[in-house]
Amino acid sequence: MVRLITHNLLACHVKGCTSNNFPLKFQDVQIELQEADFNPDMITNLLPRLEWGALVDAARLVGDTSLPPEQPEMMDDDLLRKLHHVLLEIHVVEGVMICPNCSHSYPISNGIPNMLLAEHEIG
Amino acid sequence: MKSVTTTVIADNPQAYEDQHVHAVYEEIAEHFSSTRYKPWPVIVKFLSNLPVGWIGLDSGTGNGKYLPLPVERPGSVLTVGLDRSRNLLQIAKHAGSELGTPVIREVVWGDVMDNGWRAGAFDYAISIATIHHLASYERRRLAIQRLLQCVSPAHGRVLIYVWAIEQDELSKRSIPVDEKDGAVPFGKDVFVPWTLSQQNASQGKPRRRQPTSDQQSDPSEVGVSQTTTEASTPVYNRYYHMFAKGELTKLTCEAAEGMGLVVGSPEGTERRGVEIVQDSWERSNYYIELRCWKT
Repeated sequence: MVRLITHNLLACHVKGCTSNNFPLKFQDVQIELQEADFNPDMITNLLPRLEWGALVDAARLVGDTSLPPEQPEMMDDDLLRKLHHVLLEIHVVEGVMICPNCSHSYPISNGIPNMLLAEHEIG
Repeated sequence: MKSVTTTVIADNPQAYEDQHVHAVYEEIAEHFSSTRYKPWPVIVKFLSNLPVGWIGLDSGTGNGKYLPLPVERPGSVLTVGLDRSRNLLQIAKHAGSELGTPVIREVVWGDVMDNGWRAGAFDYAISIATIHHLASYERRRLAIQRLLQCVSPAHGRVLIYVWAIEQDELSKRSIPVDEKDGAVPFGKDVFVPWTLSQQNASQGKPRRRQPTSDQQSDPSEVGVSQTTTEASTPVYNRYYHMFAKGELTKLTCEAAEGMGLVVGSPEGTERRGVEIVQDSWERSNYYIELRCWKT
C-alpha cells in the first residue's frame, strides 16, 4: 500500500498546473499500519530529500501528529523512529489526493495511486 | 518460431501504443512477469553502488524485478516503481516477497511520459526496457527528459536500457535488416510476437520457467506442451523501436541539450549538466548511465 514517502514525491501534472501543485491533499483515506525494519542510516540520509512541511501535514491528515511542525536541527534516535514510522509504516489503502491548485483528484485504490490523466488534461 | 516483423506506425503514436503496448501488457501480465525474473548485471551493479538512504524511480517497473535490489543491503535504498500496466503493478507491489513474508513495494500507476513528480526529488532513476515502447522520436526524447527532470540536478544518477538491433548469438530473435541499410541511425520499428497459450490464460501461470540464460527471453517461445493447437493460441504483437548503434546516446544528448543541460564534465562557467558515465551494448541491449552535476 502506498506510504507517505511516496506521497512526498508526487505532484499534480495537469496541463497548466505548474505552481502550488505540491503536495497533494489526502481525503477520505483508509489506512493500515504495518511494521517495517528500522534502519537509522536510511532515515537520516533520506531527510534531505523530504519536504518536511508536506510530510507533517500529510501525517496529520492520516491521524499522526508525532512529528514537530518544523524540521529539527538535530535528529535523535526517538525522532528518527517517529520519522521512520510516518514515512514507512502508514499504508494508504484507499482514498484520494487532491491538487491544491487545480483541484484535480487522483484516486488511490487497493493501495495503488492512479496518476493517469485524461488526454485533454495532459500538458 | 514466429519471427519479428517490421512495422510502420500508422496512427498517432499514443493510440499506437495503447493498442500495441498497453493493451497487450494488460493481457499477458502474469505470464510476462514469470519470464522476467533475472536482473541484468549492469543494473544490479548500478543499484548496489548507490549510497544508503537514496530514493529512486523505476520508470516502467513492469513486474518490479528491480524494486528489491540491492539484495545484499535490503532496505538501504528505496525504489518507487511506476508503470502503465495495472496488472503488472499488482505483481510489482509485492516484488521480492518470499513465501509467507509478503513485502510491500511503493508502486504508482502512471505514464513515463508524464511529469507527476516533485522536480529533482529523486536521487536516481532507472528506465529499463521501457522507452523502446514509445512510438515516436519526440516521445522517446521526452521520456528521457522526464528522467532528468525528476532527479536531483546536483547529483542525480540515471540508467537507461533499451533493446538493440544488434542481437547477440544467445538471443532467439533476429531483427529483419534491409541489405541496403548500412548505417541505421534511426533504429527500426518492429512487432515482436507474444504467444499466450490457452493453458496459460486459464491457469494464470506457465507450466515451466524459461531457461536461465534469458537475458532477453524470447517472447515468442512459451514453456508449455505442444498439444496446444495453433488455432487456440492468441498471438499478441508488441511494438518496439529497436535502437541502432549510437542512437540511444544521441537521443540522450538531444534530450539533455533540449533542457539546457551541458553534456560532458563540469568545466568553465557551465552551471548545470550531465556526464555520460558509461554507454555500451550488453546482451542485445544498449544502455547509458548518466550523472547530473551543478556548479
